[in-house]
Amino acid sequence: MSTSWLVAAALLAPSLLAIALFMASGRSPTWPIAPWAALPGLVLAAAPDFRIDLSWLLLGTRLGLDATGRMFLIFTALLWLIAGLYAQVYLASDSKRRRFGGFFLSTMTGNLGVILAQDVASFYLFFSLMTFSAYGLIVHEGGEEPHRAGRIYLILAILGEAMLLVAFLLSASAAESLFLDQIPKAVAVSPQRNLIVALFLGGFGIKVGVLVLHVWLPLAHPVAPTPASAVLSGVIIKAGLLGWLRFLPLGQAALPDWGYGLTAAGLAAAFYGAGVGLVQKDSKTVLAYSSISQMGLITVPVGLGLAAPAGWPSCLAAVTVYAVHHALAKGALFLGVGVARETARDERKLRWITAGLLLPALALAGAPFTSGALAKESLKRAIGSVPEPSQDWLAWTLSFAAVGTTLLLVRLLYLVRHEALTESHGSGSRGLGLTWGLALLGVFALTWIMFADAARAFFELALEPGILWSELWPVGGGILLAYLFGRRFARSAPPIPAGDLLVPAERLALSAWTGMKSLWNKAVRKPARPPWKTLGARLAQGLAYGQAWLESMAIAGILFLLLIVLFALALLPKNFGRE
Amino acid sequence: MTFDDWLPLLVVLSSLITGLLIFFVGEEQHRTRSWLNLIGAVAKLVLVGIMVWGVFQRHRYETRLPLLPDQDFVLRADAMGMLFVGLSSVLWLLTTIYAIGYLEGSPHRSRFFGFFSLCVTSTMGIALAGDLITFIIFYELLTLSTYPLVVHRGTADALRAGKVYLQYTMTGGALLLVGVVWLYEVVGSVEFTERGVLAGVSVVDYPDLLAIFAILVAGLGVKTALVPLHGWLPVAMVAPAPVSALLHAVAVVKAGAFGIVRIAYDVYGVEFAARLGVLGPLSWVAGITIVYGSVRALTQDDLKRRLAYSTVSQVSYIVLGIGILGPLATIGGVVHLVHQGLMKITLFFCAGDLAETLGIHKISEMNGVGRRMPWSMVAFTVAALGMIGVPPVAGFVTKWYLGLGAIAAKDYWALAVLAVSTVLNAAYFLPVLRRIWFLPASGEWPKRERDQLETRPTLLVPTLITALLSLAAGLFAGSWFSPLGWAKLVTAREYVS
Repeated sequence: MSTSWLVAAALLAPSLLAIALFMASGRSPTWPIAPWAALPGLVLAAAPDFRIDLSWLLLGTRLGLDATGRMFLIFTALLWLIAGLYAQVYLASDSKRRRFGGFFLSTMTGNLGVILAQDVASFYLFFSLMTFSAYGLIVHEGGEEPHRAGRIYLILAILGEAMLLVAFLLSASAAESLFLDQIPKAVAVSPQRNLIVALFLGGFGIKVGVLVLHVWLPLAHPVAPTPASAVLSGVIIKAGLLGWLRFLPLGQAALPDWGYGLTAAGLAAAFYGAGVGLVQKDSKTVLAYSSISQMGLITVPVGLGLAAPAGWPSCLAAVTVYAVHHALAKGALFLGVGVARETARDERKLRWITAGLLLPALALAGAPFTSGALAKESLKRAIGSVPEPSQDWLAWTLSFAAVGTTLLLVRLLYLVRHEALTESHGSGSRGLGLTWGLALLGVFALTWIMFADAARAFFELALEPGILWSELWPVGGGILLAYLFGRRFARSAPPIPAGDLLVPAERLALSAWTGMKSLWNKAVRKPARPPWKTLGARLAQGLAYGQAWLESMAIAGILFLLLIVLFALALLPKNFGRE
Repeated sequence: MTFDDWLPLLVVLSSLITGLLIFFVGEEQHRTRSWLNLIGAVAKLVLVGIMVWGVFQRHRYETRLPLLPDQDFVLRADAMGMLFVGLSSVLWLLTTIYAIGYLEGSPHRSRFFGFFSLCVTSTMGIALAGDLITFIIFYELLTLSTYPLVVHRGTADALRAGKVYLQYTMTGGALLLVGVVWLYEVVGSVEFTERGVLAGVSVVDYPDLLAIFAILVAGLGVKTALVPLHGWLPVAMVAPAPVSALLHAVAVVKAGAFGIVRIAYDVYGVEFAARLGVLGPLSWVAGITIVYGSVRALTQDDLKRRLAYSTVSQVSYIVLGIGILGPLATIGGVVHLVHQGLMKITLFFCAGDLAETLGIHKISEMNGVGRRMPWSMVAFTVAALGMIGVPPVAGFVTKWYLGLGAIAAKDYWALAVLAVSTVLNAAYFLPVLRRIWFLPASGEWPKRERDQLETRPTLLVPTLITALLSLAAGLFAGSWFSPLGWAKLVTAREYVS
């Protein structure tokens, strides 16, 4: 069957090439063909719905493609393909490029596999593959900052894995099946429903960047090489979203507390991301915060669907349109920032690049006739499922969020220009711009092609003044605000470091240690040492004492004593009793 | 008597004879010794292969020889035993190859390989023992035959380790003997039978049975390294790498765990044990051991010591699987018998590779070693990820079934143990992996010539094979020939209905 071959190619081509790249030494023929490993996956998206059962693999593997999976597969494979081509130029002179290629492709295998997996075990396999391989992308540049970002990423990723493991176990137990189509139904009626939902929201929320769990994201996305940032922020982040769609009891049960809570968290992230992003000093960090903000907006319809199952179909539509639109726009923006940093030599060239950046930026802000407008439109339709009085309020909130997005993107363009003129080495080749052009083309066309019906309906109404105005004012307002207050703001804004909440948390932990240390020193008058070491040493010392005791005769002696007593017992009562 | 009646005995003899012959081989005759070793190991593998196939088709293999009045010496092949026999015979072959390479040029090799074979003989006997007395004979023989291996180097450290090892295991063995004698006094001769033999005992004897269970588990718990009986294990890691590998993966700790499996399933019967109320405490001890071992592993800088604590933690997964009632947990526990063996032997092989090739013993010396010894370190990475429970490596399958079992039995605390253990395993393995692959090399290592392997092929090949096996055991878990498939077969035969 040709589909099976295509599935095999889609997953095996990148994984085998990844292995080949890891093993390659010196000049190797694998590097030039590596980016094309995403192609079978992209072709597969055109195949009819299918389902393949491989009962001998893992715990009984099922791979398949459904409507949602297809949408995710198209934009995921496409962005990986573009980012791969871009990386080939971007990292052409990097000595560690083969290692990068290996991690890039294995992360991609995981990402594509997550979309195709239809059973829990293989979903977990691909999700972990993606999670752990992405570490290699984040720390690729080496040095202090990537190291810190990588460490924080891994700590959160491991917590996420542990949460997911328990959630997978509980939900598969409830469903008495490993197949994904059985799970949401079973979760909906499980007695552990609240625990399962909480674990899934948290476990996948780390990837999505739900507030508080988002702290790794503004550290990790910017330090990675640009093509890796593009896929991290564009599609890997969406794998968490897909996890929600696959496992949460969406459209199955009404969970208003969780649903509206998630909606509120999404809105909070939308504004928080925009707010903190505005004061960032690095263009890629601004983009990472924009991702947090945009993922917050995507979370809104997920929350609404969780609260009211009846409205789920329209919410699902909004989620997919928004996911496609954001993946491409964000990918194009990251790649564009890279182009500006690498190749902008003079004002003229910079003008072209800025013009190129403007397209995805406007789309992200939701300007009329862009994919963003279509996404906003479907989001507004999804709001129809909430009770009447809240609808207006929610619509206004979303529009204000769009103002925030616009401001953030103005800040981005300002920073890109600044960076390009001060830091660019202007050495990058033309190829970089060409592949970026591909991404731009995707932003321009793909969303419309994928959602042709919705697009047609959208265009019929697009010229209505009311609708046009509702799309236009947030963008215009944002630009106006930026024009009026931009300079003053840039001068007086409070500096918030990337990683926001993480920084005080780290500092708090440190000062807590310091406090403990001084107390400790007062108590024992020991020479000053790093506090965590003192405490750790104390703890280790205590444990070591215990261990030494265990290694001594003690336990063996107790056992021996027990032995004697037992012998005595065995000899005494029964024998006497029986006589 | 037919061939079938002799087969279990032949399996045991194949390594016994090898071992005895090797004692008479001169120290300098490497070739003869190596050939003897390999022929013995391969012959055993073939015999075991025949037996596995037979047991799969419910064929009965039993050697029964009179030992004492009313007491036979019984060797029998059942599904549970074959799991352990299969694992030991495969890993014996690989470890033999490894040890030949590892000890190249060092003194006392005839002594070493002789006891090495005796050690495997005892393991085989433990796996095939058909009743408690036969089991104890081999269990004690194992203690005696591993002591010379632990102290092989003859250093002060090694001798001290040997002393601690003997104190612990001899006492444990004696305790076991007491338990067995008491049990015989209560119910008479006990042969291992699927689903247990004690279910029909009168209620009057329940207190006795409870106490006996505690004594037996305490006796076996020494070798299983249950906290607080684990003290000997981190000390005993001074032994040469192949010994540690065998000790941690198949021989000693597994003998203990397998003994507990036998007591719980084939003497008491798991459903009866649950009725008696002994499974709960057993699972708590396992839970505590899992967490304690992982916490202690966090702070060890000596690679083998960290691995030793990891063993303490991981072997208790097997006990946890016994302690939680229900077929799913049983599958998880039983299959970990194999999975832990494959993964842990890989890790110890790698530790040996590092020590032999580059003189690395500490984790802090492992910076950038991935570039110097890529293949060994790939094997290390696979096994370490497996220990954490990352799919598709074998450890994941264990965790999955233990978790399902815990949920089915409504022991939700065990889920928490699994989650905590995942995090802790990651916390002590991932920093090592980061050192290996992402930090620049810091050590002064012997240069490697072009076209030269990173280490001796006798060291590298077994390492790669075990790594591949741990990967395959997880990746193809769904197929009938996987350890999981066999564990399901075992479990189906241990539960009524």
